[in-house]
Amino acid sequence: MAKQQKQVRELQEGSYVMMDSAPCKINHYSTAKPGKHGSAKARVEGRGVFDGKKRSLSQPVDAKVWVPIIDRKQGQVVSVTGDDAQVMDLDTYETFTMRIPDGEDFSPESEIEYLEYEGNRKVV
Amino acid sequence: MFPGATAERSDANFVIVGAPLDISTSFQPGARFGPDRIRKYAETFDDFDRRTDQFFSDLSVHDAGDLHAWSDAAEYVEFLSGELGDAVRDDAVPITLGGEHTVTAAGVRAVDPDVFVCLDAHLDLRSDYAGDEWSHACVTRRVLDTADEAIVLGARTGSPEEWERADEDDVTVVAPEDVADWDPEFDADSSVYLSVDIDGADPGFAPGTGTMEPFGLTPREMRDVVRAVAPAADGFDVVEVNDRDDGQAASLAGKLLKEFVCERAASNE
Repeated sequence: MAKQQKQVRELQEGSYVMMDSAPCKINHYSTAKPGKHGSAKARVEGRGVFDGKKRSLSQPVDAKVWVPIIDRKQGQVVSVTGDDAQVMDLDTYETFTMRIPDGEDFSPESEIEYLEYEGNRKVV
Repeated sequence: MFPGATAERSDANFVIVGAPLDISTSFQPGARFGPDRIRKYAETFDDFDRRTDQFFSDLSVHDAGDLHAWSDAAEYVEFLSGELGDAVRDDAVPITLGGEHTVTAAGVRAVDPDVFVCLDAHLDLRSDYAGDEWSHACVTRRVLDTADEAIVLGARTGSPEEWERADEDDVTVVAPEDVADWDPEFDADSSVYLSVDIDGADPGFAPGTGTMEPFGLTPREMRDVVRAVAPAADGFDVVEVNDRDDGQAASLAGKLLKEFVCERAASNE
């Protein structure tokens, strides 16, 4: 599985972390100061990269968390059928079908950038 | 743990968080002991609420313990609002035990209500107090950065600047003698947050608080407000309890919390 372990303290806004088994992009990171008898806690809020769902975790800064290794890839649109586009990966030449995100204008020959993690893809 | 708050976090309809912030108290300190005092003096209350025919321990209340406080109020409010926001995201009602009144700003941020209702002796509408905009004396002003409207029940003191701010359309002040006749009139789709500053009560009933103000509310008047607002409230707190009495303030705070939960739960049935 493409993920690595890090300590909570190493996370930062804009990076990725696994929350509830889903890869999320961190949009908020704050720390609570420790008391005399406790360790500092961090709060991480983020959104699922592929499902857009808001998630959060609150853990000691030295706790271990999983960080997903998300590939950023280049593709070329081969054809467009309704809401779906057939895309060819410019690195592996693998072709696949993906749903065209709302507001995006895909046309054959255009190049796109997308994120891929364990079979999930999302246009950047 | 607050007595009867035995639900698991994942099953909770109400999540209690202690917020022992005590850094800007301007007269008698000790609000840091509020959460523990409230829990302790609630031990004598019956689990069964006869009026609503419910057991408190059946109402899915979870006590998440305290969020240790530190010296940066703005940072603390931000972190606390995130913790309380988790409860909101899980469709639970966050309940904060203060701590100084500043912690209310976190609950309000988490709930993002249209209307803020507050039982309080003070207007708390200063833009800053001694240069500190996060002082407990400014909380209603801070809350109005999030909520559209504030209703302060039982207020009986404030500075000229505060009374001037209270005259604006987004603030309603109900004097102690008029609270018994006050009826909430919220729009059906309005989100409401209810805050109880224990100093809204007359000091004779709740001497354990940082800034006592005579000519206040009776416990029954406060109870009636809590019962009236609870069905519409998406968040609740009770604040400014300290350890400078024999438990009267904490006892009243704990009982008002139970009234809130019982009424809110009964209204959902």
